[in-house]
Amino acid sequence: MTRRQLLLLSGAGAILPSALTASEPQNLSYPLREVQGTLTPPERFFVRDHFREPQLSLETWQLQIEGRVAHPYHLSFSDLLELPAKKVEAVLECSGNAANGSAASNGVWEGVPISYLLEPAGIDRESALLAFEGADAGRLFQDSAPLAYAQLVPLEKCLDASSLVAFKLNDLYLPRRNGFPARALFPGWYAMDSVKWVRRIVVLNAGDRQSAFYQSGMDRVYNRVVRTDEGQKITRLSAIQVKSVVAWPSDKMNLPAGRHLVWGFAWTGTGAIREVVLSVDGGMTWIPAQVQSSPDPFRWVRWSYTWTASPGDYVLMSRASDSQGNQQPVQRDKTRKDVYELNWCAPLQCSVR
Amino acid sequence: MSMSLTGVRRSSAVSARVLGLVAAALSACATGFGADCPPHSLTAAETVTRLKGLDTAAQSEMQQHQYAEAVRDYREASCLAPDSAPIFYGLGVAEAASGDFLAARKSLAVADRLQPSNVLPLAMLVRVNFSLGDTESLKATLREAARRFPQDGNLHAGLAQFLVQNKLFDLALAESLRAQRASGANAGSVMELAVLENTVGAYEDAIRNAAAVERQAGLPDGVRASAAGVAGLSYESTGRREEAIAHLRDAIHLDPLQENSYLALAFLFEKAQRYGDAVNILHEGRRKLPGSFALLLPLGSDLVRAEQYQAAIEVLRDLLRQSPDELEAYLRIADAYRKTGRPEQEAGILQDLAQRKPEYPMIHLLIARAMLNPDRADYAKVLDELSLAEKSAPSDADVLYLRGKVYAAMSRYEEAAAALEHAIELNPMDPSPYYQLALVYKKLGKAEQARQALGRMQVVKQNGAGPETRGVN
Repeated sequence: MTRRQLLLLSGAGAILPSALTASEPQNLSYPLREVQGTLTPPERFFVRDHFREPQLSLETWQLQIEGRVAHPYHLSFSDLLELPAKKVEAVLECSGNAANGSAASNGVWEGVPISYLLEPAGIDRESALLAFEGADAGRLFQDSAPLAYAQLVPLEKCLDASSLVAFKLNDLYLPRRNGFPARALFPGWYAMDSVKWVRRIVVLNAGDRQSAFYQSGMDRVYNRVVRTDEGQKITRLSAIQVKSVVAWPSDKMNLPAGRHLVWGFAWTGTGAIREVVLSVDGGMTWIPAQVQSSPDPFRWVRWSYTWTASPGDYVLMSRASDSQGNQQPVQRDKTRKDVYELNWCAPLQCSVR
Repeated sequence: MSMSLTGVRRSSAVSARVLGLVAAALSACATGFGADCPPHSLTAAETVTRLKGLDTAAQSEMQQHQYAEAVRDYREASCLAPDSAPIFYGLGVAEAASGDFLAARKSLAVADRLQPSNVLPLAMLVRVNFSLGDTESLKATLREAARRFPQDGNLHAGLAQFLVQNKLFDLALAESLRAQRASGANAGSVMELAVLENTVGAYEDAIRNAAAVERQAGLPDGVRASAAGVAGLSYESTGRREEAIAHLRDAIHLDPLQENSYLALAFLFEKAQRYGDAVNILHEGRRKLPGSFALLLPLGSDLVRAEQYQAAIEVLRDLLRQSPDELEAYLRIADAYRKTGRPEQEAGILQDLAQRKPEYPMIHLLIARAMLNPDRADYAKVLDELSLAEKSAPSDADVLYLRGKVYAAMSRYEEAAAALEHAIELNPMDPSPYYQLALVYKKLGKAEQARQALGRMQVVKQNGAGPETRGVN
């Protein structure tokens, strides 16, 4: 599903039915079974663009830091490279990634903590939000202004030591399609906030209405829309919901009877993965899977289960829970009217002969 | 830990300024000295004379690599002239040369504080912080240099060069970009930047910079050829292969003696599966550079790909005569023998490789495979090779599969069935062992099991070829 289709299908799309006119987005993802170990190679990272990828030069790229600050300033790429940097292993997932989808990738990101970048600027005491603006621009909706891609992120998240302006992925410079030369990175949060090709950070007070964010219509998407007795409740997406996927076998695969290693990945934006269980009977019974990599916050874990399969038809599902007590739902919450946070246990059919 | 003494050599310029700073030293005589300085009772004139003597002695000691003595003399001088930036700079350089990098850092920081308009203390601090392995201080020094000397292209180009030499490529890129922005960027530093940009993926920047150097007719052809090569590689990375090929041809035209240009162009042809073109360009390279060794392996490999097997064998054999440790050459020759139906020669060259590098991954499996091909295989020897293969990879499905096939050929059907069943357990999505197992079961008179094995092979095959059917255990 492309970003455009996703937006059209979303609850926000229902609120604003106008057709989208964004330029052709890149929409790439790769089967998770191709990931060896736990790190997704940069060339296999998923891509969900809103607009055409910008062509940026290292020689002219700048990051402006402005807004409610005492000392607005800008950084060159040289400045960024020479600031204290840190590495964070984190999964990024598209908020509209399907239940057993592959729009999720895990890598080691290197960059400068956003908190460090804000220090010399001297942010206003009343500051509550940061607007991140990318160098990609276009119309998000037909009736919206052609503006830069922009997202608002609460100051508290930005000040987290793991929130970065990242310039490397798995020890290589970011691929162009993943935000070269630099992007925001908010580990534990859905990927739309990790603005690619970042060029401007604007510090805002709670009441400020950052123009690109609102005028582009970005405020109308990436919202959780829940049907209530009073109508509907809309809240902004942020932390990644606990989720697991089966990477192998694939859906509708035919397996010979015998032993098979069923495996996949699990991740969460709240705490760390605590347990992954597998069902081969459509969720009637669950068996603990082995978590093969260390369950630290932000990164995904690889899990596996050696399944001795007898002839028959099976429905495989994996289910993860995290250290904060969150458990992957078996089904989609029926009160949801949007198409985000698709983290229910996706059934996968398998025939053994 | 080694360290560049570029800065040390520059210290000779320092002495010329020592006398100019004597006035500051004299004023210090009246006000006292640092905590580590013993009191003295020299007059002003005596202080000047002593300073001159110490400076001359220290410089001479530096030239003779008597760094401890130089440190001693500069320390005494620094007590006599505590406001002299050149003396503290000299002291820092001497301390660094003697390996006392912590002391050097302190002295250079004093020199920098005393004379903030001079770039030398900061440039030397970069070297000292590198030698200390203190990346954060190194970065802080670079930031300070950028803040105070943003337009000093020579400084930033020099720092970039130092950082490249020491494989700190991120910081080298940062300084190279600074040099480019400043006025002092020359063709050399632009080329260095282009190379770094190509490396990090800023291909359009790399193309622009490299092409600019390539176009400068006044530059030596070798420099222009290197630039054309970088432009070519960057074009290739952006998917513009024809431009890439054109630039690499230009590189060869500008300097036919740069073997890298032939290698790069051949590599592009290989990626385009134009193996004949790759062979031609490598042959051209060999004509221009008959002694070139680096061209042989790619030429031999491309000859195999171009199905010119006999020529490939000759080139690669020639390579092995010169360098028997070119391990890949053995495999390429084996490939050529296999494709020309000469399994005994194939096994022979692989055995040569095993002799040269006994731990080469899966070498015994390859030998066993080659040995199985002849009409009259020596199965005992094949099993010996498989035993060796199992020593390095005890649970390898391919080894077990081959073992199963050999046992079957030797009519040892029970052992064959066991090996094949084990192979299936390790890689249940490979159809080949099921088929062999079915044949073995049939020989054992187990018709039902043979039917089941064939059925499972069909199940595996129903998924089609592709990564989703890859073995996972």
